[in-house]
Amino acid sequence: MPDRFLRGLAVFTDVYTRSLPLLGRSRKQAGPLERALRLEVVDRRVEAEDVVSIQMSTSDGSALPQWFPGSHLDLHLASGRRRQYSLCGDPADRDSYRIAVRRITDGGGGSVEVHEELTPGRHVVVRGPRNAFPFVPHGSALFLAGGIGITPILPMVRAADRLGMDWRFVYTGRSRATMPFLDELPAGRVLVRPDEEFGVPTAADLLADAPRDGAVYVCGPTPMLATVRAGFGDCAASALHFERFAPPPVVDGKPFEVQLGRGGVVLQVPADRSALEVIREQLPGVAYSCRQGFCGTCRVRVLDGVVEHRDRRLTDRQRAEGEALVCVSRADGGRLVLDL
Amino acid sequence: MSALPEQPDRLLLHARDVQFDWSQLPMHWVPGEPFSTHLLNVLHLLLPEGERWFVRTFQEALPLIGDDRLREDVLGFCGQEAVHAEAHDGVLRHLPSKGLDPTPFTDQVGWIFSRILGEKRQLTGRARHEYLVERLAMIAAIEHVTALLGHWVLNSPGLDRARTDPTMLDLLRWHGAEEVEHRCVAYDVMRHFDGRYFRRVRAMLIAGPVLTIMWIKGVRFLMANDPELPPGSKPRWRDFRSAAKRGLCPSGGSLLRSLARYFRPGYYPDQEGSTAQAVAYLAQSPAARAAH
Repeated sequence: MPDRFLRGLAVFTDVYTRSLPLLGRSRKQAGPLERALRLEVVDRRVEAEDVVSIQMSTSDGSALPQWFPGSHLDLHLASGRRRQYSLCGDPADRDSYRIAVRRITDGGGGSVEVHEELTPGRHVVVRGPRNAFPFVPHGSALFLAGGIGITPILPMVRAADRLGMDWRFVYTGRSRATMPFLDELPAGRVLVRPDEEFGVPTAADLLADAPRDGAVYVCGPTPMLATVRAGFGDCAASALHFERFAPPPVVDGKPFEVQLGRGGVVLQVPADRSALEVIREQLPGVAYSCRQGFCGTCRVRVLDGVVEHRDRRLTDRQRAEGEALVCVSRADGGRLVLDL
Repeated sequence: MSALPEQPDRLLLHARDVQFDWSQLPMHWVPGEPFSTHLLNVLHLLLPEGERWFVRTFQEALPLIGDDRLREDVLGFCGQEAVHAEAHDGVLRHLPSKGLDPTPFTDQVGWIFSRILGEKRQLTGRARHEYLVERLAMIAAIEHVTALLGHWVLNSPGLDRARTDPTMLDLLRWHGAEEVEHRCVAYDVMRHFDGRYFRRVRAMLIAGPVLTIMWIKGVRFLMANDPELPPGSKPRWRDFRSAAKRGLCPSGGSLLRSLARYFRPGYYPDQEGSTAQAVAYLAQSPAARAAH
């Protein structure tokens, strides 16, 4: 079946591959792309009801890595919790980073820990910055923020203003008292729109001022994002930027077991966690990507057990051949033996 | 006050769950341009197998990557490549309904990535490791090419003027934008294992010509098997020059110049293309916007 060119290429590659060790030893050149930073809290301010901002610096005064509006930090809290918070300070300030956090009493405890533990003089390990909400620094833009969603938007609005972009900003929240940074907004086309005074905004309210063929940047609670996404097609703008968050929580899961290979370690998967999360603790090098069951990177062969498939990727044939995506698929109790 | 960087960087990569409907796609989706259509159709022939091979190779490398940030980049890269492969596969599945069966060619492509560049169980120890690093260097070289093609397709008003099928144009530009977005990852991975100039250029000297030959063979195959063309149709060099002149494909000169830049000692992939432009396209791509 392969033609002459390919057969020739195969012969060449076989010889070439065998001779590779003669062509010198691989030499790693690059250092780590990023180092974890141990920062000291230098300031903590109450910015609104239940919202504090935390300013952090290196203890030795060295310059911090540069960042671009929309970036976040990964905080490694003392309890072991890891939380991502958007940078909301000035990107030109290379001496300190600022984040702002709303206290969510019935959440996972991360925000409460930040509020109570990150006081001036305390230290925290951070990684990043990384950017999951990149900002395009030209053209015209409408910025939309809801409540604590102001954090990535604030540096964007200020950058847009400084760069002389054609911009406008609609800032919503429950009430003025709950909306941080009202005193830091640049003068210009800013509409502060608390629900208490204006009612909960509709897509039309939010997108009324969208620039023709321009961009809309939105960050806020899930319902606000859903509203804007649903109504976007009817507005004049052509580009919609929003941050994509972590995968949705497990729904209607039951606890089950996974075994890593026949006779391998048996791991317990709780009802509210994915098999992938549990496997990663044991095998940090395991491959995965979307964690939502569509990309197929975490595909494994199931050697034994009945899979409850929850992915949107595998064909019936692949499932019949025992493949499964462990980022979403589970078992209805019992045990899955995986070829890992 | 120091200036803002020009471009967003340190992007956290993630796959986008795009869907395309090909049921209305005509055979010549650059209307009246069979050569240009098939030149770009070669992407559908090569990429599904190629990108799956990227993912398999990176999966093999992943346990050896100690740098957390690089590992995060690789995971995002793999998801994007896996979705690319699936998206191009969708076009391949549509071709038979137009009377063109791509399997004689895609079987050969599959053979390259399994038999020639697949896992070689007979290799052990250092030879095995060097083979892995060589494949990583090949991926870095190919990713230079995909990034330059991505940059081209994001700046190809000729395709708009020619009234290219909008769904196909969105696939090409969404894919191109993600190639630009993740253009540094494969290069960073290669340098994590081997940063020697010799390794990098050697891989390009092999991958570049093989890719070119496969591309030419792909266009020949498609034109010879296109039921809407007269039997015995062949691509000609003047078709290529004419298409390039009208902005329907990159010109030979621009391709050679871009390839030459890979040989500069100070090369780094972020010197090519614009992250801001890629991000801007991804925010307006109908498929990417509809994705979760």
